[in-house]
Amino acid sequence: MIELVNVEKTYYSKAGDIHALKTTNLSINAGEIFGIIGLSGAGKSTLVRCINMLERPTAGKVYVDGAELTSMNKTELNKTRQGIGMIFQHFNLLASRTVYDNIAFPLEIQGLSKDEIDKRVRPLLELVQLETRANYYPSQLSGGQKQRVGIARALASNPKVLLCDEATSALDPQTTKSILDLLKDINKKMQLTIVLITHQMEVVTEICDRVAVIDNGEIIEQGNMVEVFTNPQHETTKEFTKSVMNAELPEIIKNMHLTEKYVENSKLIVRISFLGNSAGEPIVSGMVKKFDVDVSILFGNIAQLKDVPFGTLIIEISGTHEGIDSALEYLHNQNLKTEVIGYES
Amino acid sequence: MSPDMIDLLIKSFWETCYMVFASAALATAIGMPLGVILTVTRKDHILPNAAINSVLGAVVNAARSTPFIILMVAIIPVTRMIVGSSIGTTAAIVPLTISAAPFIARIIESSLLEINPGIIEAAQAMGASPMQIITKVLLPEALHSIVLGVTLAIISLIGYSAMAGALGGGGLGDLAIRYGYQRFQMDVMIVTVIVLIVMVQVMQSFGDWMSKKLNKNKL
Repeated sequence: MIELVNVEKTYYSKAGDIHALKTTNLSINAGEIFGIIGLSGAGKSTLVRCINMLERPTAGKVYVDGAELTSMNKTELNKTRQGIGMIFQHFNLLASRTVYDNIAFPLEIQGLSKDEIDKRVRPLLELVQLETRANYYPSQLSGGQKQRVGIARALASNPKVLLCDEATSALDPQTTKSILDLLKDINKKMQLTIVLITHQMEVVTEICDRVAVIDNGEIIEQGNMVEVFTNPQHETTKEFTKSVMNAELPEIIKNMHLTEKYVENSKLIVRISFLGNSAGEPIVSGMVKKFDVDVSILFGNIAQLKDVPFGTLIIEISGTHEGIDSALEYLHNQNLKTEVIGYES
Repeated sequence: MSPDMIDLLIKSFWETCYMVFASAALATAIGMPLGVILTVTRKDHILPNAAINSVLGAVVNAARSTPFIILMVAIIPVTRMIVGSSIGTTAAIVPLTISAAPFIARIIESSLLEINPGIIEAAQAMGASPMQIITKVLLPEALHSIVLGVTLAIISLIGYSAMAGALGGGGLGDLAIRYGYQRFQMDVMIVTVIVLIVMVQVMQSFGDWMSKKLNKNKL
């Protein structure tokens, strides 16, 4: 649906050129929710603005729905932009227009008649649950309501793509949740392709199918969201995912005196992580039954990655040396990620 | 004050109104497009054009820095060409308009620059053309601020119109000078000044009220 081929963006200035975006290739499929994550200044804003050419790339090609935007003249580009919706962190609503007229705005631009506009705006007001606020001005709305108007306005021209520029960063957690639910809903109902840039990891784990991590103007990692989050490769990605994935060891375990090798009477501490269904299998009791060991749970956590639960469990295995070794081997043979933290004596 | 004097006062009042509002309307008609052009041709705005921006900016600055009394005399040939005479109330409208238009252009420019660039970006993202952005985004969003600016211009025009007496323009200022100052009629002087003060007050209050009504930012 969206294809960026060798896209680059450089700002030339006397003080020195700034490479906001180094050679970037990106392919976003129709109907998916694609997340672009990165710190402020990493280039994610530039990247999303290259998709609808608010920022003209200095090199490379941009395709949306098969059409090359980089070669279009202004008139063609404006026509194409009508098929790409965009919502913003600070909503960017017209303060002098009511909710209704804000949603009608893109349709007015396209020169639709009053009747046609009304036919489009009414159902959108309903979709974003603002029927009773149609004649309010933006300054009379809460942040969440403003973003709902922004979404309705972006959807008014029946776009195939919706670009979200930090759309929930200015909202409180509860409102964020409701906006994300709305985005998920329209993604399903309208088969809308959503590109979302954010620095909020919870947003990504809540709705994204695939992600790209951008750092210093470069995409350093991309792929399936669950894979990237459960198995981050790059240091920056690890840093990002740490907070939501609880990858850091809890204090109590950090404070233990652990050794790398087994010594007499020591207990093994391992971290097991499991995705989705394997969480249902009786691994712990299986281990206790099969080998002469005892298992106690030190720490447990479940993170939700879109529809997939991702669990982490830190357990302590005690028993004979052989028992512990075979239990560990048993764990390695399961469909789990097993990580030895150390032996406690 | 004699009844004749009161008649003269009323006549002068209408002359002032005529000069001020006619020139304010014409100056806005000229200043509005100039202000829009000064704004949109800026670097980083919707139609960047350094050449147009700097030439127009220089012309506007030159017109603004010429003292009104000098401008008025200097453009007498132009006035004669347009009105057919360089003397009279209608003739005074020409220099008043020419001096107020660049002022209004700058006021409109600064009002338009106050608009959050994000709103312009949103309109561009929807595929709005520059003309649509000007008519549907910039001017409506800045209207409340433009109204205040035009009010300011009208009030300065009330002051300038007093000088138009030098060209036989008539009006309250002329009355105050000829009868109040030159013939030592203190009562005429005081009454005209009071009428002028009331005019300015009413204008300012009306402008404030209008702007507040149009401003949907704080409801």
